[in-house]
Amino acid sequence: MLATLPERFREFGLPADVRTLLLLQKSMQKGLVKTLGDMYQVLKSIIVKDPSMMGPYTRAYYDYFLNIDIQNGERLNDAILRSETFRKWREDNFDAIKDIEDDLDKLVNQFLDEVHLTSYDIKEIIDGRDIFDNDDPDLDDAADDTDSDGIRESKLDKLADYSDLSLEELLERMKKVADRMKGKHQGGSHWIGTGGISPYGHGGAAKGGIRVGGTGGGKMARKVLNDRKFFPVDMDSLVNDNNVDAALASLKGVIEETAEEKLNVKKTIKDGLKRGGLFLPEMESVSNQKFQIMLLIDNGGYSMDPYIHTVRELFKKMKTRFAHDLETFYFHNTIYDRVYTDQYRTKPLMVERLLQKDPNYRIFIIGDASMGSYEINRTSIETYKALTKKFKKTVWLNPEPMKYWKHTLTINFLGQLVDMYPLTPKGIEEAVRGMNKRRD
Amino acid sequence: MADTTFWQGSESYLCDKELAQAFHMSRVLGMPLLIEGEPGTGKTELPIQYAKDQKLELFVYPVGSKSNVDQFVARFDHVKYLRDSQIEILNAQREEKGLENKLTTGGRDTEALADYVIKGPAAQAFSTPNSVLLIDEIDKAPREFPNDLLYALSHRKFIMPESGEVIEVSEENMPAIIITSNREQELPTAFKGRCVYHYIHFPEPEIMQEIIQKHHPKIDNKVVDVAIDIFYHLRKIGLERAPTTREILNWLKYIKQFSSSDAIDKIQQLEGIGALIKTQTDLEKIQRTLFKSPDDYRKRSMPN
Repeated sequence: MLATLPERFREFGLPADVRTLLLLQKSMQKGLVKTLGDMYQVLKSIIVKDPSMMGPYTRAYYDYFLNIDIQNGERLNDAILRSETFRKWREDNFDAIKDIEDDLDKLVNQFLDEVHLTSYDIKEIIDGRDIFDNDDPDLDDAADDTDSDGIRESKLDKLADYSDLSLEELLERMKKVADRMKGKHQGGSHWIGTGGISPYGHGGAAKGGIRVGGTGGGKMARKVLNDRKFFPVDMDSLVNDNNVDAALASLKGVIEETAEEKLNVKKTIKDGLKRGGLFLPEMESVSNQKFQIMLLIDNGGYSMDPYIHTVRELFKKMKTRFAHDLETFYFHNTIYDRVYTDQYRTKPLMVERLLQKDPNYRIFIIGDASMGSYEINRTSIETYKALTKKFKKTVWLNPEPMKYWKHTLTINFLGQLVDMYPLTPKGIEEAVRGMNKRRD
Repeated sequence: MADTTFWQGSESYLCDKELAQAFHMSRVLGMPLLIEGEPGTGKTELPIQYAKDQKLELFVYPVGSKSNVDQFVARFDHVKYLRDSQIEILNAQREEKGLENKLTTGGRDTEALADYVIKGPAAQAFSTPNSVLLIDEIDKAPREFPNDLLYALSHRKFIMPESGEVIEVSEENMPAIIITSNREQELPTAFKGRCVYHYIHFPEPEIMQEIIQKHHPKIDNKVVDVAIDIFYHLRKIGLERAPTTREILNWLKYIKQFSSSDAIDKIQQLEGIGALIKTQTDLEKIQRTLFKSPDDYRKRSMPN
């Protein structure tokens, strides 16, 4: 049945698994899934756990349930227009849509309305129909193939029936869709072939004068596909303005704090005994692990120039987030016995002083570590050793693409002294994870 | 039986259909609803308005950086317990000395440990069938907080500290749980997996018009049109902190004291823009893009 769903959704990088199916099944049993539009919404709530999954999800959904494969960067309209499913829908619903046959945009809208029609929409239509009947009989004329009220009623009955569609029937329909995917083409057995996606079969919604969609799911699907915000940031590309936020999200991982008040048993007993047996509770607050960051930035040298902007952007964002707990120092190429507190490297601070700081500091060294090998002398090596010894949570972030690392002697060398990670969102995430593992 | 009817918003709250659907789904499945989205898009308002509209009891837990599960579920008041047990000893001593008046423990019994359990919003909501529980801004919590909630969420069960009392709720009576997040920190995958997820999209101008209508029904449509026009324009020019629904509503609150023609004028002059724009850099950017002379701008940025 839907057994292939997790696998196929995973191909789009979505976290679908057995639990997804179980939840979906539960939703179906509870009557939450009655139309294809419901399916879209319910599956979305189950699978999508981040706005950046909306784009891939919409693509996976169209691919799996409608056999419409949306190419990278393609507009939803175009993908629909060139799809077999749409062509078939158009043929099957020829009568109903002949009024708008020439207007492709309208056709696609109509198609989307039907795809995304949810049982809530249907309910709204039924509710709306009373008003419609009572208030505006003239609109009846707009419906061309419903000559008498009798037919109208039966249509509505059909609609109501549809919303009571049993689980088995729905699954049956889906099975057929799934079969079709595998290449067993079964003529009119496609969901759209069998009386349409919508309970009206023939686009009754539009004809009834009550337009459902255009503002509904279809529009959202379109929006999601056209907005980069709803696609995952490439986690392996170099940190840039766009993915700097993603990078920082993983940086947030370094925050650890617990804050609670605890009864200090020892002190309570001790003081209680002193008072001759009158015990008064002594509370103490569990000490927060303070979150302190130190940035050591290589801001000199020609080789760092291409990355300065990136580093600065990352730094700026960090500064706004960790305003009080962030200290920044600068160096050129490699650290000897001092770093500088200003960008122009005029105000030195001896490394000895650095080493007197709280060992809980987390240190990010940012630099390309590319220089003449003679530049790394004994002083420099001693400094790195002392830093990593004192501050267990020290990492090096290197903007140089990882594939070049092995060709640069100094990177190899410094990489042995300090754990080195690429300056990409993923790299930062790994660095932070590595950092958290190391507890004195 | 928990309320599982489809709720579409109330007189004062416009619930976008997809959100309404996700909310309905979460109640039917007895799972918490996790809402994310830009600040000021009405995430927190949903449970508040729902509870108000349906006349249900609402329990709120505002999450902060110091939040922990004890506060959320229940904690044992050691201080009171110790005090009361001391009072018992004192009373016994007083009795020995023949003193009449006794110190009181305020009706609490040191034998009954449950008297010293202070129930947090979660325990209260779980013992009130068909209630609403809001966990606001969970992304502000320490990292362990969401993980600590996992057991309770999937088993619908809390065990009270010390007294061992179990508060359990059936799937039918499960309170409607709404969790909001501003995405300042990623939530653990396992946690998200137990929630129905919904991301609130920023409302389209037409929807915004309806929202404004609900909040400020008396404002002239023309004024609203102009304001919305400028508002969406400001959102487009790439500000650091783009104005959101909350901001435009506040802005119009200020604008609405003027007559229609005055109001349009004032909107176009960007009067009271401080309600919309919240950072200095953004103000400067608007100044650069929309106004030529700084004096001109300064005059306008300050109302009257």
